[in-house]
Amino acid sequence: MQRTCDVSIRQAPGTAVLSLTGELNSSASAVLGPAYDDAVADGDPRTVVLDFTDVDYINSTGIALVVEVLARARAESRTLVAVGLSDHYREIFTITRLSDFMQMYADVGAALASPAGA
Amino acid sequence: MDATTAHSEVLADFAVPSETGNERIAMARVAQAVAGLGLTARRLDALKTAVAEATMNAIEHGNHHRADVPVLVRVSAAPSAVTVTITDQGGAAEATDSTPAVPDLDAKLAGLQSPRGWGLFLIKNMVDELAVSTKGSDHTVTLMMRLTDDLGRSAETEDGHAAHV
Repeated sequence: MQRTCDVSIRQAPGTAVLSLTGELNSSASAVLGPAYDDAVADGDPRTVVLDFTDVDYINSTGIALVVEVLARARAESRTLVAVGLSDHYREIFTITRLSDFMQMYADVGAALASPAGA
Repeated sequence: MDATTAHSEVLADFAVPSETGNERIAMARVAQAVAGLGLTARRLDALKTAVAEATMNAIEHGNHHRADVPVLVRVSAAPSAVTVTITDQGGAAEATDSTPAVPDLDAKLAGLQSPRGWGLFLIKNMVDELAVSTKGSDHTVTLMMRLTDDLGRSAETEDGHAAHV
């Protein structure tokens, strides 16, 4: 039985934070894209933060979903940022080269405080 | 891989139904089986991801989500390595299908390649050796992690970064 992924959205000045909870697997396809749509429709943020702090499992389908969101963000000239990744998933973001296109921070506070963030 | 399996001990031998999400069960049971072998946390996480991805492939591409067709998982350890075999019923057709192009993130971001197709790439990057074999309808992926590597890497810290001298 597959666990699901929930996404909540928080807006900060110039930034939308999408906080993911659960597993980033195929179940997330039904929530991550729509959450991104809602986040950018409300405030047209320059930066979108994906917060993985409460995600305990990311599989290859989840990586593909991040690629989809990253492609959309780049097409819309937004910066996509990842926070809260474990060391293991940081390594996977590095191996897949997602880290070439997404800054990674320890937490939302560090991302918002960064010049490259909000 | 004969050298690593010559004196191996079976640590776990189980089956999971071919249903989405059961890769987590396989991952947890393999982690439990290898708990006493001394893999660093970093290499244990890597093995867990490889097992999950290989089991997902077996469920999806090998057994086509037929719940009554199990994915068979066997964990064995020799002094030098731990080996995990994951077997489905995809046969030779799957062996042909499971050799996709190396994922190219630039092409994916440009819309020239599907955003998917990371599974085998992740597996290859997570384990020390990957082998694929077919015997009749059995399609088996063998994952190997060296144990001596952990012992030999005295300069490697627990989080996987080389210690600075």
